[in-house]
Amino acid sequence: MNPGIRGIAVNTFRESARNKMFYLLVFFGVLFALSSRLVSFLTLGDAMKVLKDTGLAAINFFCVLIAIFTGINLVYKEVEKKTVLAILSKPVRRDEFILGKFLGLALTMLAALAAMAAIFFAFILLNGGGFDWRILLYFAMLFLELLVIIAVSLLFSAFTTPILAFIFTVSLYLIGHVMWTYNEFKALLRAPAMKVLSEILYYLLPNLDKFNIKNEVVLGTAPGAATILYTVLYGAVYTAALLALAVLIFRRREFQ
Amino acid sequence: MTPGLEGRSGEGVKGLWLALLALAGLLLGAGLQQRYDTTVRYFGDRDAFVSLPAGRTIKTLSFGYHNLAADLLFIWSIQFYSTPQIRNRFEFLERVFAAITDITPSYRDPYIVGAMIMVFEAQDVRMALRLLEKGARYNPDEWRFEQEAGFYAFKYLKDYSLAERYYSRAAAKPDAPVYVKRWNAHLVYLRDDPALATRMWLDIYRNAQDTLTRDSAFNHLYQIKAEADLPKLQGQVQEYRRRFRRLPAALADLAASGLAPELPRDFAGKPYLYDPGSGRVTAQRIFNWKKKR
Repeated sequence: MNPGIRGIAVNTFRESARNKMFYLLVFFGVLFALSSRLVSFLTLGDAMKVLKDTGLAAINFFCVLIAIFTGINLVYKEVEKKTVLAILSKPVRRDEFILGKFLGLALTMLAALAAMAAIFFAFILLNGGGFDWRILLYFAMLFLELLVIIAVSLLFSAFTTPILAFIFTVSLYLIGHVMWTYNEFKALLRAPAMKVLSEILYYLLPNLDKFNIKNEVVLGTAPGAATILYTVLYGAVYTAALLALAVLIFRRREFQ
Repeated sequence: MTPGLEGRSGEGVKGLWLALLALAGLLLGAGLQQRYDTTVRYFGDRDAFVSLPAGRTIKTLSFGYHNLAADLLFIWSIQFYSTPQIRNRFEFLERVFAAITDITPSYRDPYIVGAMIMVFEAQDVRMALRLLEKGARYNPDEWRFEQEAGFYAFKYLKDYSLAERYYSRAAAKPDAPVYVKRWNAHLVYLRDDPALATRMWLDIYRNAQDTLTRDSAFNHLYQIKAEADLPKLQGQVQEYRRRFRRLPAALADLAASGLAPELPRDFAGKPYLYDPGSGRVTAQRIFNWKKKR
């Protein structure tokens, strides 16, 4: 790997790992995942299904929070503290800076997710469940989704304030999870221009629902190999496109 | 007394008062809670149900957490519908379970539990059947919904044709256990189709893997055959009496007189029992399945 990218990535990982907010969110993620046992007591029928539902939802939610909160500050903090000037004065290109930041945060998320997943697997085993490879597949899909979210937050972080970046990223996250209703919405449009616009938006906006396989996992089924392959490719291509856009914007920025 | 001691004593009195106040509050709260539990409640906030969004809307608004939304709504419904003090709690029962099952149509428990609440609590079997049919529609490989529907139709509607239709669909599902097939055949027997019932029970008898299934099939085949043979034999005894002005001394007399060219035997291959005193023909064992209805 390029030494510039590696240096930035390692530093970003260290910086994120030192952040108290990171540990707090991981702690709450684990706490909520474990509290799923309490929720499962209240149900009738398959308590393990409720336990998995609640646990996976908690891990998903807190991982997304970590990705957004860390991602929106990534570039902004460096610009605000003017440390970006020191970094860019060294033989580090701007695209390396963005890619390094992305990889560093991706590594942080991988560590957080791996910790939560390990605790969750142990928790399932302690509660009488067995090892289910589908849950592992779910975590892999969640990691892909997190990569897209990191790329989105990084893109916004490259040109706006953390508050605006937060609003934009959360909006895209929410939109990304209702994309399954988009075709019905398109059918309601009458004006041809609106139809074309909605068609463009359909392919432009992130379809995060593709990564959401919670339902299949908890009900003991799994998406087919082709679906998984297309989802992985979609995640990779979409993330690459967002990073390219972030680099493009960041290259044009002037720092004073 | 020194001012310091006065102050300390004043603090102590204040602390005592506060402790007493806390104790009184707790006791009062416990008393009120007890009173509250004994009151009959009506769910006044109908708006909460009227404005309960449709399942699809909840699914959309849960932004990818629809499994959790369905779980929470399901858990809430279990607590709500098991609160007997709320007398009008069943007014929106169907709507609540429609919403839950619309959010995750492949989540099986709400169909089963919802139908149980509808039958045993709300006593609306038709509503339960609608919910179970929806479950079967969305989960075509699952046999439990139609088996449950068949049981409710049999037990509470006494509609044996409807029950048999449900059981027949459930029995045709890939993982349906053999007891569903037994129920199906039993219902065919109950609705008086001996030819079909015999075919079904013979199939179960020949493929039986355990004693219970084999015995159950044997008993049914025995009963179906006896129900067909006994009235015929009884008629021939009466005909014998009309012709010879006496009862036959044994069933063999029917054959000797030419009234019965061949004497039927029960499914076990044994002759039917005959009482020459009363002229009554019976089988060694007779089950009152139809009379129990």
